[in-house]
Amino acid sequence: MDGLVRRRAESRAAVRRAEDLGLRVEYLGFMLAGEKYGVRIALVAEILKPPPLTEVPRAPRYVKGIVSVRGRLVTVIDLRRRFRLKESPADTRTRILLVDRDDEQIGLWVDEVLQVYRLADSEIEPPQVLGGDQPAYVLGIGRPENELLLLLDLRAVLES
Amino acid sequence: MAEHTGGGGGGGRESIDKAREEFFSEAQELVDGFGRDLLAIDELAKSGRNDPELVNDVFRAVHTLKGLSGLFGATLMTGLSHELEDVLDDLRLGRLDMTTGVVDLLFRSAELYGQILAAERGDRSMPEAEMKALLLALGQVTQRSGAGGASPVAQYELDPGLLGVLTEYEEHRLRTNIQAGVSLFRLHVTFALSTIDTALDELKAKARPLGEIITYLPTGSVGEGDVIDLEILMASHADGTVLQEALGAPHIRIEEVKRRIGMENPAMSLNSPPTMAKDFPLPVVWGEQGHSSHSSTPPPQAATGREQIIRTPPPPAIDKRDMSLRSVSQTVRVDIRKLDNLMNIVGELAIVRTAIARLSERAGHRPGAKDFSSELHRLHRSFERHLATMQSGILEVRMVPLGQAFDKLARIVRQISREHEKEVHLVITGAETEIDKLIVEELSDPLMHMIRNAIDHGIETRDERKNVGKPAVGTIALNAFQKGNQVVIEVEDDGRGMDPQRLIQTAVRRGLLTAEQANEITPREVLSLVFIPGFSTKEEANEVSGRGVGMDVVKTNIAKLGGVVDISSEVGIGTKMTVTLPITLAIISVLSVEIGGRAFAIPLASVEEAIVFNERDVRVIENREVMTQRGQTLPLCRLSRLFEIDTPEASVERASDGRKKFVVIASVGSRRLGFVVERLVGQQDIVIKALGKSLANVRGFAGATELGDQRVGLVLDVAALLEEVLVGDKDRVVIDVAGRTRESPEGRGDGRARTASR
Repeated sequence: MDGLVRRRAESRAAVRRAEDLGLRVEYLGFMLAGEKYGVRIALVAEILKPPPLTEVPRAPRYVKGIVSVRGRLVTVIDLRRRFRLKESPADTRTRILLVDRDDEQIGLWVDEVLQVYRLADSEIEPPQVLGGDQPAYVLGIGRPENELLLLLDLRAVLES
Repeated sequence: MAEHTGGGGGGGRESIDKAREEFFSEAQELVDGFGRDLLAIDELAKSGRNDPELVNDVFRAVHTLKGLSGLFGATLMTGLSHELEDVLDDLRLGRLDMTTGVVDLLFRSAELYGQILAAERGDRSMPEAEMKALLLALGQVTQRSGAGGASPVAQYELDPGLLGVLTEYEEHRLRTNIQAGVSLFRLHVTFALSTIDTALDELKAKARPLGEIITYLPTGSVGEGDVIDLEILMASHADGTVLQEALGAPHIRIEEVKRRIGMENPAMSLNSPPTMAKDFPLPVVWGEQGHSSHSSTPPPQAATGREQIIRTPPPPAIDKRDMSLRSVSQTVRVDIRKLDNLMNIVGELAIVRTAIARLSERAGHRPGAKDFSSELHRLHRSFERHLATMQSGILEVRMVPLGQAFDKLARIVRQISREHEKEVHLVITGAETEIDKLIVEELSDPLMHMIRNAIDHGIETRDERKNVGKPAVGTIALNAFQKGNQVVIEVEDDGRGMDPQRLIQTAVRRGLLTAEQANEITPREVLSLVFIPGFSTKEEANEVSGRGVGMDVVKTNIAKLGGVVDISSEVGIGTKMTVTLPITLAIISVLSVEIGGRAFAIPLASVEEAIVFNERDVRVIENREVMTQRGQTLPLCRLSRLFEIDTPEASVERASDGRKKFVVIASVGSRRLGFVVERLVGQQDIVIKALGKSLANVRGFAGATELGDQRVGLVLDVAALLEEVLVGDKDRVVIDVAGRTRESPEGRGDGRARTASR
């Protein structure tokens, strides 16, 4: 029992030290209807060029369809539809981000993958800075060098 | 990054998980075997008999369970096994009689094992209370059993040396046989050392119908020619000559063990005073040390003048149980996920096969590549053949007899009918019918509920049955048989049947049906009322079938396996529920079709035929499109409309490319429906894969499959679609019914698709 308490205290201290040193969290940036978004890169398993996609009748509207990734079926979610943005046809820059959700991998259909951003805590603002009610899936606003990144809470995004 | 913690060291955890998984499957198997043996013991006990071998089997199972559970820290299980061992030991040593009370306790133990296993898996909480109660009851049983009476063994001219090395169990068997008035025989056998195992088993098999082999000991030296002499003590009703003939071999010498003078009456021995035994002190060693301590008690010389038996000490290290274990373990236990994996690979190979076929065809059109093409074609054929063999081989491994599920049911029936004052006889036919392992697993619970319902709602009490002139003991028939690509399981009782009026009244009272709807309902629809969530005809839910699970859950679970349930019932005669299931979930033959340019697959098992669609044949009856096919009315379903797929319907009759449309006639059970599709692509075998969890609420699809070229086609869940289309909007009453069903959190062919995901 004592050991557990001590270990917890130690790890908390370690985290604080790391923060002081400015340890950063990596986010993968991508484009969606002209805006930049970011998800923690640790959750992204793979980036795919869209394979042939099969639409699923009767599925929720935000489900774009299913694809086969090396023999496994993956449900692809159209983030534009999910966020109620204007739809546009796929082009050569369109990608699917494979992300882990509990025991299932989900595909996120995005316009374009940008780069990896390494953000320190100080570079992330709470969603309220954009004013008013922000949807639950906005984790915060990333501000790397004059840019603006909507950081997504994948769990909230994938919750229907 | 925080998300990465837990990623490392996965290998170690995996192997622990694997070991635990193996523990579960082995323990489950043992518990199942325990249950089966109990049923047999119960059957014998009813007629006052007892098979020592069965009790031994159970003892062994419990002993193994104790060891296993100790290894995996399943303390509750270790505790239970420990207590059970005591009871079973008393049982096999005859210190305790196999009474109904004891059998009941054993059944409860089997049940508790199952509960503990489920709790260990995390499926439920530890059954602490039941454990406590059972341990107490078991403890009382063992305390009550006293020591046995005096030994009647002394009246036989048996070598005390031999008696000295009998285990407690063998001693008990010897006594039992003597008390039953069975003659004893001494067999001298010579075996070759190299074949002793098999030769001994052979001899045991031959001896079994005639009596019981109590013990065998090596005599004399192993010496010449690598042969060994055994002395066997056997109890038999037959006389010496019959034995000699039956056991047959010339190298066996048989002599009857003589009774001592003045002790002719075997019945006397039952009451023989202990002084008798004192006259001839037996160096019988009691307890566990039976095997090892004989060396410290040198056998007194036999004074009878018979030939001297020179005993070599029985090899202490070799346990007979181990020998028999080795000989039966010709099987391998395999996680079904591994088979799924293999099946997936077969699916991938099938795609490769198609690619090769295409390649060979293309090469055939090139002028210089004729030889190459025919070579490729030959390779393709051979590849195809082997692939098919492999596929059927893997499928065969997945197949298990339905009996696995039925055994558990027999136990349930016994338990429930004892709890009630209803006596029920379960008659099982077709237990050998084979079906996919996964289906068997998923089938146990629905079948159990159906049987519980049959006992609770169907079978009347003894008095009621007598009053209407039925036999006092009710009968539930569990029949299974294969029918084409499907397996049919019937649960039929000879109870009171379902009264339509009562069903309607209940439905109205529960607000599931308006009075208006009640007037319009058809007899067939009345019976399907029981499938509505929240419907239960018993006024008060009781502990048997009133645990909040009703027939709606049964139907949902069967539907998940791609099956259907039908009910027929006659008041006063009984009720029959028929479950129709696909034989396997893993690989299915499908008919690929196209609708609006999109590929769909219809399981061939439910396809009757496909015919050319002719718009002129379509008539509309009660808002439904139907056509007449061979004199029968066939309801139609335009999949493009059902799935809201845009098709340029310039001509309703022709597809966009001007070709004719088709009607695929599908049937499940007694329901038929024609799906209008635009194009028939062809037949192929596919590995069906689960749709992700995020699509779990989408009805009408059993899963999806790769059709080659990375293209994915959705596989129709024909049973669900038939249900939805035929029952779903036939009239208002059943719209209501289906609407409710749809709200329940079932998936579409979720279970079927699970094959791929597990």
